[in-house]
Amino acid sequence: MLLKKAKAGALLDAIAAKERLFVPADDRGTSRFVAYGAGVEPRFDLLNTKLPPKDLLFPATETLYRWSRDGADLAIDSAFAETDPFTVFGLRPCDMASVDRLDAVFLTKGYVDEFYQAKREAATFVVATCAHPGRACFCDSIAASPHEAPTADVLLEDAGEEWVVTPQTEKGASAVEAWKPYLEEGDAEPIKAACDLKVDMAAVPEKLKGMFDDPIWSDIGDQCLTCGTCTFVCPTCYCFNIDQDVREDEGKRFRCWDSCMFTDYTAMAGGHNPRASKESRVRQRFMHKLTYFNDRYDMNLCVGCGRCMRDCPAAVDISLIIDRIAASEPAQEKEAMAHA
Amino acid sequence: MADVQDTIRERAAALLSSGEVSAVIGWGAGRFDDVRFPLVVKRAEDAGKLVFDASCVQMTAKRLLEHTGEGKVALVARGCESRAVNRFIADHQLTRDQVYVIGVPCPGMVDPATGETLKRCAECQVRNPVVHDELVGDPVPEPKPYRFAEVDRVEAMSREERRAFFDEMYGKCIRCYACRNACPCCTCRECFVEQDKVGWQGKAFNVNEARYYGMIRAFHTGDRCIECGECERACPMGLPLMVIMHQQVRDIDKLFGPYEGGGLTDSGPDPLRTYKTDDIEEFM
Amino acid sequence: MPRDNEQTGEFTPKILAFCCNWCTYAGADLAGLNRMNYPADVKVLRVPCSGRVNPQYVLKALQSGCDGVLVCGCHPGDCHYSTGNYYAKRRMMIFKRMVEFAGLSPERFQIRWISGSEAGKFRDTVVEVSEQIRALGPMENDAPSRAAIDAVAGTVASPEADEELFAAAKEAI
Repeated sequence: MLLKKAKAGALLDAIAAKERLFVPADDRGTSRFVAYGAGVEPRFDLLNTKLPPKDLLFPATETLYRWSRDGADLAIDSAFAETDPFTVFGLRPCDMASVDRLDAVFLTKGYVDEFYQAKREAATFVVATCAHPGRACFCDSIAASPHEAPTADVLLEDAGEEWVVTPQTEKGASAVEAWKPYLEEGDAEPIKAACDLKVDMAAVPEKLKGMFDDPIWSDIGDQCLTCGTCTFVCPTCYCFNIDQDVREDEGKRFRCWDSCMFTDYTAMAGGHNPRASKESRVRQRFMHKLTYFNDRYDMNLCVGCGRCMRDCPAAVDISLIIDRIAASEPAQEKEAMAHA
Repeated sequence: MADVQDTIRERAAALLSSGEVSAVIGWGAGRFDDVRFPLVVKRAEDAGKLVFDASCVQMTAKRLLEHTGEGKVALVARGCESRAVNRFIADHQLTRDQVYVIGVPCPGMVDPATGETLKRCAECQVRNPVVHDELVGDPVPEPKPYRFAEVDRVEAMSREERRAFFDEMYGKCIRCYACRNACPCCTCRECFVEQDKVGWQGKAFNVNEARYYGMIRAFHTGDRCIECGECERACPMGLPLMVIMHQQVRDIDKLFGPYEGGGLTDSGPDPLRTYKTDDIEEFM
Repeated sequence: MPRDNEQTGEFTPKILAFCCNWCTYAGADLAGLNRMNYPADVKVLRVPCSGRVNPQYVLKALQSGCDGVLVCGCHPGDCHYSTGNYYAKRRMMIFKRMVEFAGLSPERFQIRWISGSEAGKFRDTVVEVSEQIRALGPMENDAPSRAAIDAVAGTVASPEADEELFAAAKEAI
C-alpha cells in the first residue's frame, strides 16, 4: 500500500475528525508534536522535532491528585483519567526507540505507572523513516535504524514522492484499514538510508564501569554549563520530581520533569549534596545513558537522535564522548600498566 | 584569524609550561567545522587544541570562577569576556591577579544556524578587550551599533500586545537555566530558584513559573548586565531574552545617568546598589 | 475562592499593601484611631522598611492571587534607617518599569510615601488604588485579547496549544 505525500493532508483530516492527532510542526520558532487542526502545517521534512514527543506520554507537569478541606472533612481525589485514543503521525525511528525505553521504565520490572499506561495504550504511533538522516544523527550505531521501527504500529517507509505503508501491530492494522480510501495499491522502492555519523558502542557499557574516576568527567565538566537543556530535549530522559501546590484549603500534588544536571536534584534535607560538583553530575548523566540503564534494561538509553548535540549551549557532543570512552584503555589494563 | 589562533596556541603553551598559569580557557573544535566549544587546557602539550575562528560563539568567562582556586588562570578574552572579568572583580568573585587576560580584538562571530553575524555580536558595543595583560592581533574598529531596536519595537506595542509578546516568550521557556548558568552576573552561590525551603520558584512547567524565573533573574542582573548577550545565545529555545535586559539598561541610563556594567564607566557602585538624595521622585 | 461580595455580587479585589513599620504602618494606625473609613480590600503587611520589600514579593503576590500590590514607606529623607527607602525607590522605579514593559497594568503595582502623621493620605491612597483596581477587575483581565495575541504571535501555533498556553497565562501575571 502506498500513501502519496501530496495526499497526506486528506488522510490527516480524516484521522483528526475521529480522534486527536499529533504531527510534527513549527510552533512559535521551535518545533514539536502539536495537535493537528486548522492552520497547522505538518513538517514531515523535519528530521526530528526540536522538542521530543515524550510529553505526549509523560507530560512535563502532570497532576497526580488533588485535595481539599472543608472544616474537618478532607477530600482526596485522584487526578487519574482514562485517555481517549490518539494518533502520533510522522514520528522518527529514533523517537519510536525512545518510546520503547519509556515503556521499559514505566511499565516493566514489577511496577506499572497507571498515568503513563493510560496514555501509552491510547496511542497509535505512525513512524516515518528517514530518507536523509542529519549530520548529528547516529541512531543506527546505537539503538535504531533510519529505515526501521519494529515497535511502531504503522511504518511509513519513505520512497521519495510516497510512503510505503506497512501495519506492524493489530492497532496499526485496524488504523490502516480505516485509511484505505486514502491509500493506493502499488509498489515502490523504499529508501534505505544510513547515518553518516557512527559510534562504536560495543565495549562502552563495560568500559564505563571502570571509569568512575576517569579524567574524562572533569574535562566534560569544564565544558558543560550544567543547564538542563540536554535532559529536556532528550526523548528518553525520564527523571521527575514530585512537588505540590498548596493553597489555604485546597492543593494538588504533581510530578514534573527534573534534570540530573541541576544541583537541587540530589540535594538532601540536611543540606548535604552527594553530587555537588559539575563533573559528578555529568558523570551521572553519561553513566546512566550508556551503562546503568543497560544493566537494568539491556539497551542503551541514548537513541542517537542528536538533539542534545544540536541544542547544547556549550556544544557538548555525546558522540565524541562515546568515541573517547571507546578509545580508552580498560581500567584493569591501566592499573596493570601503573603497576608495571 | 589563523595567525591569531597560532599566537594564542604559542602563548598558551608558554604560559602553561612556565608554570605562570595553571589553565588556559579558550575554545576547542567540535566534530563539525562550525562547532566550537569552551575548552579548558591544563597541559602545555594540549595548547594545540585551542582554536579561534568565527565559530567561537560562546562567551567563556564563567568558567574562570571554577578554576581560580587552582592558581592563576589565563582567559582568551574578547570584548565580552574582558567585561565579564571586570564584572567578576566588581562582584568580588575574583581578584585581578588571579587571572591572566590574553586579549583578542573580535571582528564578530558567525551564527552557524543562519550564516550571518551572531545577534549578540551585531549588538556588541565593545569588540576590543577592555582589560588585558597582552593583546593578540590588532585592535578592531568599534562600530557601536544601535542595540535597542527590539526594545523600541516592543515598547511601541499596546499593553495587551506586550503581555502577549511575553506570554509567548515565557510560554516557550523550558526552564533549563542555561541563561543563568552562562551569565557572568549570575554568581550567587545559591540562586533563588534553588531555595526550595523558601519556595520562590514553583517546580511546575508553565508560563507563570517561567515568567517568575525570567523576570526575577532579569531584574537581579539588570543593573550589572554587561550586555554580552550570552543568555540569549545560550538559550536553546531562541528566546529574545536581551529585550528585557536592554529595556532595563536603557531605563537605568535615563533615570540615573549613563552607566555600563563591566568596568566601562568609572561611576562607582552599580546603580541599584547606591542612591542619590536628589533622584527624581515619582512616588509622592 | 469566590472573590465577589456575597451581598452585592460586586468584584472585591485583593490588594496587598507592604507598609513600613515606622511611617506608613503608623499612618494606617492613626487612620484607624481617627475612625477613617476605607475599603477592606487592602490587607496590610508590616515590614521593617520599604527597603525590605524584595521585588520578588511583588511578583509572587501578583502570581498568587492578589489583584494589586501597594508598597509604602517613609518619605525620602525620613527613613528610620536613614537610607532604606532611597534604595527601595531606585529598585522599585526600575522594577515597576520592567513589569509594565512585560504587560502588567500600571495601576496594579503602586508605590507611595506615607508618613506616620498622614492618616488622611493613607486613607486616600487606599481608596484610590482600590477604585482603580475595581475598575480593572481581577488579575485575569490583564490577559491579552485574541487580537493582541494574533498581532504578535510567531509562526504556526496549533489552536489547541495556544489555548493551553493562554489558559495558564490567564491565572495570573
